[in-house]
Amino acid sequence: MIANVNEITKDQLLGETQKMAAQGYRFVTTSCTDLGEGKLDVLYHFDKDAELHNLRIKAEKGEEVPSISKIYLCAVLIENEMSELFGLKVVGMAIDYGGHMLLAPEALKTPQSKITIEQRGAK
Amino acid sequence: MNTKTTIPFGPQHPVLPEPLNLKLVMEDEKIVEAIPAIGYVHRGLEKLAEVKDFHQNVFLVERICGICSVQHAMAYVQGIESLMNIEIPDRAKYLRVIWAELHRIHSHLLWLGLFADAFGFEALFMQCWRDREKVMDIMEATSGARVVVSVNAVGGVKRDISSEHLAEIVKVCDQVNEDMKKMENAFLNDYTVRHRTVGVGRLTKDQAYSLGAVGPMARACGVAQDLRTMGYAAYGKLGFQMVVEQDGDCWARTAVRVKEVYECVRLIKTAIADLPAGDIAIPVKGNPNGEVVSRVEQPRGEVLYYIKGNGTKNLDRLRVRTPTFANIPTLLVMLPGSQLADVPVLLLTIDPCISCTER
Repeated sequence: MIANVNEITKDQLLGETQKMAAQGYRFVTTSCTDLGEGKLDVLYHFDKDAELHNLRIKAEKGEEVPSISKIYLCAVLIENEMSELFGLKVVGMAIDYGGHMLLAPEALKTPQSKITIEQRGAK
Repeated sequence: MNTKTTIPFGPQHPVLPEPLNLKLVMEDEKIVEAIPAIGYVHRGLEKLAEVKDFHQNVFLVERICGICSVQHAMAYVQGIESLMNIEIPDRAKYLRVIWAELHRIHSHLLWLGLFADAFGFEALFMQCWRDREKVMDIMEATSGARVVVSVNAVGGVKRDISSEHLAEIVKVCDQVNEDMKKMENAFLNDYTVRHRTVGVGRLTKDQAYSLGAVGPMARACGVAQDLRTMGYAAYGKLGFQMVVEQDGDCWARTAVRVKEVYECVRLIKTAIADLPAGDIAIPVKGNPNGEVVSRVEQPRGEVLYYIKGNGTKNLDRLRVRTPTFANIPTLLVMLPGSQLADVPVLLLTIDPCISCTER
């Protein structure tokens, strides 16, 4: 249903993002989805002339993913958000809010995760 | 010897309608570094959307932000309609535009009033809000509510607008148009106001684009970017004209919003003149399946909805990127080099909506 999606690995992310920047794309945002069983799906949305182009990576929760904020500074807020709400470990962010950009210290960790009632009880 | 001082600006500050904290590193009165901090009104609405059904989510997304509730709902229902291959009646498309542009007028008048208040022009503030009341009254008359009008639904709109109310809308639009001409003179030409806005918080076109700025923030820097040009709803049939300024400062951002009010009025009057007869909604059967990205132009700029359905009444994911979220990074560039006294005016020109940003 979404047009212009390139499925890439996390190792290709910086190179592909650099290409998007060189082609004059604007970084729009990312959309992170918890697929269950610790798997995450991340879409990076870019825009040029009102047409979206998307890069898709799959990652495990807690797995290190490079930050693109050195290429697009504006990605820094959404990278912090994904890190806090989903447990994606984004490394090299231009500003690291240390897990407290949106969440208070006493808040439930990674609240956007799919967790079972038993897991929630254990927390 | 240069001594650096860190000053917290907000989260509670007279110029901020919502909580936002700026850590300003100062050398005397000059800002050398600024770090924005949010996190005071995060409500977890995206998570809540996973446990509500896809019809109930219309009410939920309208409450992400009251000021742009129509456009939030529009982006959401357009996304769901795209997933379910629903083509809504033409009359519903025109009605959506009428309410959306009324919302844009009241949002811009709200902002212009707050902006006038920020630089101490109380009479101008009251003039803006007096006209905003007329728009709020007509929204109440047509929908039953002043801010969260809740007219959008999957498959069309919930209410029609009677011919009497359409005539009243035209009358209100003409009044706003006339009053705006007087206020425009104060906002853009007044000697004192220009001292507070011209050259303040300048952002170049390249900076605005690379920082991902959207809406009036981007258009004030010469970036011709407005999703209404994509022609969603009935915009493709109304001859939409984008407002773009070149200076990239607080004056240019004000000018874009002032001039957009005229374009809103023209769009509404054209939509009313061309309003087709017919149904306002079609029945919806089934559940959304698959993923889609839906974008519309809110008063503050582009809003993006990523929606993932799984064939049941509940969604797997509803992701919302609001325009203020995209515009906050511009502060990292605009604030350094500015004077402390300019921070309230400069900050307001991004039209910050923090409840939107944090969801």
